[in-house]
Amino acid sequence: MRILGIETSCDETALAVVDDGRAVLANLISSQAHLHERFGGVVPEVASRAHLENLNPLLDLALRESGTTLKDIDAIAVTVGPGLVGALLVGITAAKALAFALGLPLIGVHHLEGHIYANVLAHGAIEPPFVAFLVSGGHTMLVHAPEPFRYRILGQTLDDAAGEAFDKVARFLGLGFPGGPELDRLAMMGDPDAIRFPRAVTQRGYDFSLSGLKTAVVRHVTAERGRGREPALEDVAASFQEAVVEVQVDKTLAAARDTGVATIVLGGGVVANTRLRALMSTRAEQAGIRLFTPPPELCTDNGAMIACAGFYRLSRGDRTALDVGASPGLPLG
Amino acid sequence: MLVLGIETSTPQTSVALGSETGVVAASLLATGPASHELVVSEVARALDRAGMPRSALTAVSVGLGPGLFTGMRVGVAAAKAMAQGLGVPIVGFASLDLIAFSVRYCRRLICVAVDGKRKELFFAFYRPVPGGVTRTTEFEAAGPGRLVAELIARLEDILLVGNGTLVYRRELEEAGKHVEIASAAFGFPSATTLVELAIPRLQREDFDRLYDLRPNYVRKSDAEIAWDSRRRAD
Repeated sequence: MRILGIETSCDETALAVVDDGRAVLANLISSQAHLHERFGGVVPEVASRAHLENLNPLLDLALRESGTTLKDIDAIAVTVGPGLVGALLVGITAAKALAFALGLPLIGVHHLEGHIYANVLAHGAIEPPFVAFLVSGGHTMLVHAPEPFRYRILGQTLDDAAGEAFDKVARFLGLGFPGGPELDRLAMMGDPDAIRFPRAVTQRGYDFSLSGLKTAVVRHVTAERGRGREPALEDVAASFQEAVVEVQVDKTLAAARDTGVATIVLGGGVVANTRLRALMSTRAEQAGIRLFTPPPELCTDNGAMIACAGFYRLSRGDRTALDVGASPGLPLG
Repeated sequence: MLVLGIETSTPQTSVALGSETGVVAASLLATGPASHELVVSEVARALDRAGMPRSALTAVSVGLGPGLFTGMRVGVAAAKAMAQGLGVPIVGFASLDLIAFSVRYCRRLICVAVDGKRKELFFAFYRPVPGGVTRTTEFEAAGPGRLVAELIARLEDILLVGNGTLVYRRELEEAGKHVEIASAAFGFPSATTLVELAIPRLQREDFDRLYDLRPNYVRKSDAEIAWDSRRRAD
């Protein structure tokens, strides 16, 4: 079964053609980072306009690259939420119109379920139960999946998503946008133990909070400059990153232990962070837990993960009606 | 020829199917802010009611605004994907032009003004000509005060039409007795007009390029407006 996957929930227009939820025939992403850079964050109206301009040419490119025509497509999968409502609507509307024009089944996919299924593209089907740690520019969430397509949220961020905090700190340090990859690169040259930033302790065990840490970074740099010293930015970046990642890894492993699962699945753009991947892998191995991590190119938002999740949803008989709208706050579960 | 028309640039979502001999099915929804999300299912329903398969569609026409940003995008996204999926040509029309065309027999200067939110209207002036109307100004985005000044400056009888008159009626009445405000029934661009106007263009193969077709936003995004004014201040 050949599925066209469409993802427009934030600032990447992404289309993919995937066979049987596994073989990625094309996976194209039109990044809008250059459009949002001057604003220091994603502007919803700018993102929505760009999605509309990118979508149709990207579809032709994806078909060409996969050696497919529209006649070879068996179903259309699309992200229906969560995300920016105006951005989601462009992809959803196009998906509905294509499904109708071609007489194909439509399947709406939860964006975060897509990130979980990015692992299936890379490693094959993953049997629940597992704990998923989903972390991106818009989300930081620990999820327990006791059985297929069932999710229980164990905890999430109380303030900034991790990717958002990375972007903000990067911006404060004068790095480029998006800040995550820049900060990661800079941190590689720094000492993670140079500055002992606070590790966020939250009331509820699996929730996350980064606002205190963010403030601590700003305070540290400002204080150093007040003393006439220019702080070593690579040390600040490495120490900040270490504080974020350590808490994330601790809580993910605790969640696996407490729910009694032997598998951890990672997903989301921040999983491209080299320190998170390294520390999670070391700690999971020590704990005897199987860890699934998508390759970096499948961590960021993409259409292939949506096509893959859509394939498994369709296989069990799920269908989405043509009157479906965008669900900016769609819960996972 | 069977042409599909899609118009979603105002709170009215309208869909029509028609040919050289007239409209065969049409639907109109104004059920709330998200009625444009139902545009694809309305197309399916219209074809069903007309008893035609989707393969009978030979072209798609779409209203390009100016109007509500999200509404326009939904209509244009639906029309473009439909045209791409069916492999048929697409033609776009400015939504204000559709409103002006529907009151072309009034023998007066026409001003079309639709609600643009953010305390602004999108407007343009038209003159009736044999067989239709001709637009005499660019599309403009401005507050009701500015529109009133434009109306006062023109020393001739004017028919003022568009759903903007529903929102700013009291302000717009200040323009004077030479301005007549048309009934709200004419105030929304309609997909049936879209189909009617599309047919001659399709007959002479005056198609739009699918990739290039985009809404008439007229106004930049708020973030861009703020950015521009900061840069001017520097």
